[in-house]
Amino acid sequence: MIPAHNEAESIEGVLNDIKSQLKDADILVVNDCSTDDTAAKVRACKGVKVLNNPFNIGYAMSIQAGIKYAKRHDYDYVIQMDADGQHLASETHKLLEACITKNVDIVIGSRFKKKTGYKSPFFRRFGTRLFEGTVKIFTGKRITDPLTGFQCLNKRTIDYYAEPGNYPEYPDAGLIIEMLMKKYKIIEVPVSMKQREAGVSMHSGIIQPIKYMVTQLYTCVIIFIKYIGRTK
Amino acid sequence: MSNIPFVIIAVLVILYILISIRKNKLSVSASFGWFMFCLVMLFFAIFPTSLDWLAFEMGISYPPTLFMVACIIVLFVSNFRDDRTIDELKQKVNDLSQEVSILKGEKDDKK
Repeated sequence: MIPAHNEAESIEGVLNDIKSQLKDADILVVNDCSTDDTAAKVRACKGVKVLNNPFNIGYAMSIQAGIKYAKRHDYDYVIQMDADGQHLASETHKLLEACITKNVDIVIGSRFKKKTGYKSPFFRRFGTRLFEGTVKIFTGKRITDPLTGFQCLNKRTIDYYAEPGNYPEYPDAGLIIEMLMKKYKIIEVPVSMKQREAGVSMHSGIIQPIKYMVTQLYTCVIIFIKYIGRTK
Repeated sequence: MSNIPFVIIAVLVILYILISIRKNKLSVSASFGWFMFCLVMLFFAIFPTSLDWLAFEMGISYPPTLFMVACIIVLFVSNFRDDRTIDELKQKVNDLSQEVSILKGEKDDKK
């Protein structure tokens, strides 16, 4: 499942990569009201299912739309990937295999679990460290790449995320804390990633990353307060 | 002696609320808080000495301060409630949008 907003330059390559690596998988693109040729490029790829949001609802809500689709169609696993070409389809096997064999709810593809030579921008690096520490403090578990969108979810997680209000606007570290506090099993597997192929990251610039980090930190604290002491 | 300008303002606001309800621009439940606020404002405008008495009882030496603080609290609560409502509506709009995109996607799948 791939949420996409104005990713016309990279989406075709991403879809072809997935089709060549995952022959039996159903591919779903959630087009978040792109204003470029993303929708046309997706339509041109045969066998790819597409959800077109009637207006722009954002990254997180687009992911939830895809998850709701998966729940309605009774899928057992969902692999979530970004449309910018950073996530490699060849690495999805690792996520799915870990999810099945280790019987966990969420598998996160981490680019920092092992040294892979991946170079991330300063704010991304800083944010990753900051939220790695935040998750560790609040849950005791070390998640080396809490900001990645490269994840595999099992049916239990799909059912939970698909419920209205259960998928937050800022899903990353806050959602990991929530799921860990709700006793969902989360593990990381090391994966390789590429640099963004094209387009502009939603966290580019200076103001956006700072705003994101402050909001995400606030979310983590509130989520911790919300679920502390709860058994269910 | 009553405070005529405030009596006029309170009466006009009450009339505006009633007209809005009649035109279906404002629901009865949403109007309740504002209506009560206007009645309190009308009471203090007709009996301004009661505000002096209340301020004195509360240890406030300058009675208009009590009125201002009360207004600020009412506006603060109203704003907070509005934010909550907007958030709930946003969630519902997102849910509807997701539903629309899924149904359209399923329709396209069947083609």
